[in-house]
Amino acid sequence: MPIFEPLLRAAEAHFRSFLAVSVRGAKALRDSFGSENDAETRGLTLLREWLSPEQLAQYQANGYFDVTGCDSGKRYRIHYGTSMNVHEIDRDGWARAGWCFVPNIYLVAGDVMLAQKIALETDELGALAVAKEFSPSRR
Amino acid sequence: MATQIVMDHTGDTRHNFDPKDVQSILKAEARFKELTRVGFTPAVRTPSGGVVVTRTFDPTAEETLFFPRLVGG
Repeated sequence: MPIFEPLLRAAEAHFRSFLAVSVRGAKALRDSFGSENDAETRGLTLLREWLSPEQLAQYQANGYFDVTGCDSGKRYRIHYGTSMNVHEIDRDGWARAGWCFVPNIYLVAGDVMLAQKIALETDELGALAVAKEFSPSRR
Repeated sequence: MATQIVMDHTGDTRHNFDPKDVQSILKAEARFKELTRVGFTPAVRTPSGGVVVTRTFDPTAEETLFFPRLVGG
C-alpha cells in the first residue's frame, strides 16, 4: 500500500542505524577485552622472564612462588593476584601473616607480582614499612 | 641494543637504545632520570640470576626494568 511506504522506509532507516551502532559497540567491546587480555599476557610474560629458574618452576607448578627477604631472611609467598597476595610463611610453608603493598598505578597481575618480588628481594624493610598487614587464610 | 622496560597499564612499554650511539644514550639517560624522578625504581638482573636496584644510569645494562612506587594496599 503506497500509504505505508514512507513509514516502512523510515523504519528501515532506523533499523539500519540501530544495526550500525550495535556493530560499532560490539567491536569496541571486543577490542577493549582484547587489549586487557594482551596486557595480562604481557605482564605474565615479563614476570616469567624475571623470575629465577626455581621461582619459575614453582610458579608454573603451583601458581605462586617464594622469595627471601633481603633484610630478615624471612620467606614470603607471592600468589597470583593484584592485592592481598603476599604471605609471610614459616618453615613448613604455612602463612604466618599477610602483607598488602601494591604499585601506586594500575598494573596487571604479572607486573604487580614482579614489583613485589623485587621489592622484597632488594628493599624488604622499605616494602614492609608501607605495607598493610592482614590475617592470612590460606597456606 | 639495550632495553628499558617500563611497567604500565598495557603490561609494559619497551624502549630500545644503542649503547654505542651517543645520542641514543643521552635519550635513554634522560628517560632514566625522568622515570626515577616521578617515583619509578630501576632494577637490573645480575649474571647470577638475581635482581638489584640501581640508582645510576648504566648504558651497558642489557635490560633495565622500571616499576612504580609501592604503597600500602
